[in-house]
Amino acid sequence: MGEKKLWLRWTRIGLFSFCLFILTTQVTWAKPVAMHIMEGYLPLSWCLFWFVLALPFWLFGFWRVQKITQKPEKRLLLGLCGAFVFVLSALKMPSVTGSSSHPTGTGLGAILFGPATMSVLGTIVLLFQALLIAHGGLTTLGANAFSMAIVGPCLAFALWHTLKDRLPQQIVVFLAAALADLATYVVTATQLALAYPDPVGGFWAAWLKFATIFALTQIPLAISEGILTVLIFNALQSDAAVDLQLLGVSS
Amino acid sequence: MYLIDRYAYTNRLREVEPAQKASLAIVVLLLCLLLDHPSVGLLAVFWMWGITTFWAKVPNLVFGKILLAEGLFLLVAGLGIAFSINFAPQISPNWNWQIGWFWLSSNPLAVETALRAVFRAFGGAAAMNFLILTTPLVDQIDLLHRMRVPPLLIDLMTLIYRSIFILLASLERMYTAQDCRLGYSSFWRSMKSASLLGSRLFIEAYHRSQRLHLALESRGYTGDLVFLPHSYRHDQRFYLLGISVILSFIFARLWL
Repeated sequence: MGEKKLWLRWTRIGLFSFCLFILTTQVTWAKPVAMHIMEGYLPLSWCLFWFVLALPFWLFGFWRVQKITQKPEKRLLLGLCGAFVFVLSALKMPSVTGSSSHPTGTGLGAILFGPATMSVLGTIVLLFQALLIAHGGLTTLGANAFSMAIVGPCLAFALWHTLKDRLPQQIVVFLAAALADLATYVVTATQLALAYPDPVGGFWAAWLKFATIFALTQIPLAISEGILTVLIFNALQSDAAVDLQLLGVSS
Repeated sequence: MYLIDRYAYTNRLREVEPAQKASLAIVVLLLCLLLDHPSVGLLAVFWMWGITTFWAKVPNLVFGKILLAEGLFLLVAGLGIAFSINFAPQISPNWNWQIGWFWLSSNPLAVETALRAVFRAFGGAAAMNFLILTTPLVDQIDLLHRMRVPPLLIDLMTLIYRSIFILLASLERMYTAQDCRLGYSSFWRSMKSASLLGSRLFIEAYHRSQRLHLALESRGYTGDLVFLPHSYRHDQRFYLLGISVILSFIFARLWL
């Protein structure tokens, strides 16, 4: 009996220190990268659920993109814009925690190209991130697209559209970009909590748990990206006002 | 990013029909999700790692590095499943730890769920790594084209893939130029440099699309990009391999 207790005690100490180790690496590295759900992490039923939920948005986005690309040059423009959104995630931006991080580009993309276009471009970008840098996954593409290419851009665009005449532009751009990131993070936490509810506290306890764990990296990311997007948008307005007007972003 | 793309073009399985490689990867991926057992996940990692390194001759280190790329997400999310945080100790004895004013608790069932998810994710990630390390993205897009994905999406994917590297090259050039001039020496300076870089990149993407349009139009572009398909070889051994992988999974699920 005594031997068994000793064994249990050491397992507990081991598990606890392992936990501590992970937490400290999370804090000290704190390299906020966008939160993509990894390949195979969600059970099959939830993968299908998020694909079905994303489908109407994709169809609407596809219909809009098809209408935009009646002119062949717009097709090329959209292609280059998609590449821009992808490359934006390779941009090094300083993080408020001291290290560096990479922007997600959802807020800026939604303001520049609109949420319908972003639902298509964002999904292709997510697919390419899975296929070129092994970040994200094929079966979790539906879930990741729902949070990053649909909810984030829709919120950013709604904020931009309703607030742009009422508040100073810089504040609106900051809010749109930062809240798009936060919305993405909240949706991802919800997706994880729905798939893996807490055995004791159910969905809400699990949600709180995942939200707390990822808050360490996602809240600094949202603030940094908000600041960066304001600066990029200002620079674009002074350097590329004509191009922005052609895209339909009035200043 | 260059790492995966480089091996995708230079590995020994490059010439093999992409449909064969993709169907093997997708079958493994789906079986990992359907059978949902740690032994299946582990077996998938071994199979996929073996095929990628022994047959396609991709270095071991590369496969392992990419498999662990998302290890941190996996560890954190796995711990999130295994442990729960409460204000009072839970029923399972010996599985509660008090930290300050709250209790960290776990139980065998939660640990099992977490392990299951982690192994399944590793298996799925290994299957995806096999696909992306042996098949270049152009072949995958060509495969989608043959599967009757709308030409508009195919064109967008082709354009995005082909311009990513051009934009990345100019991003790196501009970054080096800024960094040499102490553009990233403090927080606000880096913010300013990064924003200049981002806006310049957008302008470049915009102008490149216009120049591309001019270049294509002068060569008779009417709205569809047409590429000559690559010729591939069918490898009969893949069918044998697929059957043995499936049988081994079912065996592992039933007897382990």
